[in-house]
Amino acid sequence: MTNNDSKAPMLDLFVFETNQMLEQLERLILDSEKSGGLEVAINEVFRIMHTLKGSAAMMMFNDISSLAHSLEDVFYYLREAKPQRVDYSELTDLVLNAVDFIKGEVIKVESGGNPDGDCSEVSGKNRGFLSALKETDPNLTDASEKSNNESENQLSIGVSNISEEQGKIRYEAAIYFDEDCGMENIRAFTLVHELSEFAEDIVHSPNDILENDNTSEVIRKEGFKIAFATQNSLEILQDFFCKTMFLKEFNMNVVEAASIKQTRNKTIVLDDPIPDESMNCTTKKVEQQTEGTQSFISVNVSKMDMLMDLVGELVIAEAMVTQNPELQGLRLDKFYKSARQLRKITSELQDTVMSIRMVPLSATFHKMNRIVRDMVRKLNKQAELEIIGEQTEVDKNIIESISDPLMHLIRNAVDHGIEPARERIAQGKPEVGKIRLEAKSAGGDVLIMIQDDGGGLNKEKILRKALERGLIETEEISLTDSQIYSFILQPGFSTNDTVTEFSGRGVGMDVVAKNIEKVGGTISVDSLEGGGTTISIRIPLTLAIIDGMNVKVGGSIYTIPIIAIKESFRLKEQNLIKDTDNNEMIMIRGECHPVLRLYERFQVQAAVKELKEGIMVMVEADGKGICLFVDSLLGQQQVVVKALPTYIKKRPGIAGCTLLGDGGVSLILDVAGLNS
Amino acid sequence: MKLLIVDDAVFIRLTLKMMLEKNGYQVIGEAANGSEAILKYNELKPDLVTMDITMPQMDGITALKAIKRMDPSAKVVMISALGQESTVKEAIVSGASGFIVKPFVEEQVLRGLSKFKIATEAL
Repeated sequence: MTNNDSKAPMLDLFVFETNQMLEQLERLILDSEKSGGLEVAINEVFRIMHTLKGSAAMMMFNDISSLAHSLEDVFYYLREAKPQRVDYSELTDLVLNAVDFIKGEVIKVESGGNPDGDCSEVSGKNRGFLSALKETDPNLTDASEKSNNESENQLSIGVSNISEEQGKIRYEAAIYFDEDCGMENIRAFTLVHELSEFAEDIVHSPNDILENDNTSEVIRKEGFKIAFATQNSLEILQDFFCKTMFLKEFNMNVVEAASIKQTRNKTIVLDDPIPDESMNCTTKKVEQQTEGTQSFISVNVSKMDMLMDLVGELVIAEAMVTQNPELQGLRLDKFYKSARQLRKITSELQDTVMSIRMVPLSATFHKMNRIVRDMVRKLNKQAELEIIGEQTEVDKNIIESISDPLMHLIRNAVDHGIEPARERIAQGKPEVGKIRLEAKSAGGDVLIMIQDDGGGLNKEKILRKALERGLIETEEISLTDSQIYSFILQPGFSTNDTVTEFSGRGVGMDVVAKNIEKVGGTISVDSLEGGGTTISIRIPLTLAIIDGMNVKVGGSIYTIPIIAIKESFRLKEQNLIKDTDNNEMIMIRGECHPVLRLYERFQVQAAVKELKEGIMVMVEADGKGICLFVDSLLGQQQVVVKALPTYIKKRPGIAGCTLLGDGGVSLILDVAGLNS
Repeated sequence: MKLLIVDDAVFIRLTLKMMLEKNGYQVIGEAANGSEAILKYNELKPDLVTMDITMPQMDGITALKAIKRMDPSAKVVMISALGQESTVKEAIVSGASGFIVKPFVEEQVLRGLSKFKIATEAL
């Protein structure tokens, strides 16, 4: 593109579309690898590479473009020449490498950088693969490979010895195309083709423009010479040349027939045998593959959020009208009938808006296929991933934040869970390990389970480690299995002594647990030694609606996410202690928790100041308990989370706000923020 | 001058559209594959079609042939990438009015299409 300011909106689109194509490509490749060969996907891969090449070249991302080009060439050859012996697993690796490279570059573009990676290594491999392919199938040569040194017999323009008919004039022309128009030989061919409609006896130099693509170089340098006979006048011909695309200049002369010696007699075969059948059958195949795809539009997420907000407000407004205190005591049968109808429609509207935000987990799940495949190869193990319930839908925001944890868990399963094939056979297990990734709806939550049939967790080892790290005092026998297993979610806890490329540093599981908790989910571990490990994650369907506890502090109402609340109680004075800095603490079951007076924190007037008279709400974040002091509990309610308006400064401890049933506003507390 | 843009990549469609509309062309339709292109051509009767070659479901050549069969006077300019010489040849034989090579710059597209602009305005 010529000017920079028109690039920005295009960039977003480029990133979006490229990512989509890469995802599609990856899935295509992995699926076809499973079903036994890439043959079926050749066309599709070729097309995706072609489009990628075009888009990237438009954005001047030359490395992406040339990498895509190198793969396009490979698949073009596969499609046209149909070689017999192809190492598809190597090819799969090539494609996946390319996908990784382009993904990396796109991320750079997305974050405002320049895609400056060097593709030469990756695309060099592709070219190597292609030439190896061509060697193994020597009888099939690529059209573009034919005759590289054919520029000798140019510049000799001749006329065929067909006797000139009366009234026809013979012309000779030298034509030059614009420098950057590309494919000069085809441009020349276009010209010849169009000329042939009203001229005959056409001779041109170079004369092998159709067969030899290298002639474009010659035409670029020396021009295209053509001679023909026609009844048309010079003016008409000039007009004709003027209308030819990208024609820079031409010199045209009338020539005497006698003055030209015949050197070459070449008639142009216009119905050049281009294999038509292969075209037809390939398009048919593509049609079959793409059948059943629905039509989608992509919408900016911020618009979705806005819609969600508005619907939330509509629901509240509806309640404000239909349950208006001024209506009490009136007999309004017709009004209530209409109000019921309104309520039905608003709740349907709410459901629909929610469903728009819902995205199936399939894309996230299929990413895992790739991870398992790569790891199995590197670690020399055998494992397959079984995906169940990929159609389960979750809010888009949540999907984004569970992708990394899932990836980590899958890695763990392959690396630590699944044993090497020899061990597995010795234990009487099937040679190929199985990892099952399952999702299902469970009430308002989604349950995701990662299950492997590997070695399982070693209880003694975990206990010993917990003892070492001081998490427990003695090897308590009272601990339940799930309590023991949950130790692996602690920071720095790894029972694996060796660090591999993929895992074992003990920085994983606690991050996983933290990320899951961040979206309001829970994680639990179950295992059978020698029989495998199951990790269950329970996440809410959406972040837009949460269960909240409304509490009163002075004249204000705050909402605490229910998931963060451990307990609420009235203070017994003997439990209150003060440290040397006069900070208040409460001793509960032998543990001290700091007290946070919300009215102090938010500087609310006229609150209950006596600790005994209010209520303590103990909340937990990042493993630390903290007691919030509030006036009273108002009740539990599902609330629609709204971001704070931009004109209010962001403060730690406030996650957002929500509208209450009576039209009032309540601030939603961010427990982790209060804690810090 | 009224145009129909056919390309499977939204990105390319938008690029072309922005280029052309900025320069006084009227983009009256877009299509994402060959079969869509044929339908849109019948519906909108554009003065000029820019046609990508490699597309899903139905490629540009097949669509070109169909359009030319319905309307022999149709003006279709192929948009092609380097390395597709043989396909472009087929397109020319099948009646394409010309072609533009990807990647293109604005100036190039305008220069190429300007020939058609003169031609239709003269009519």
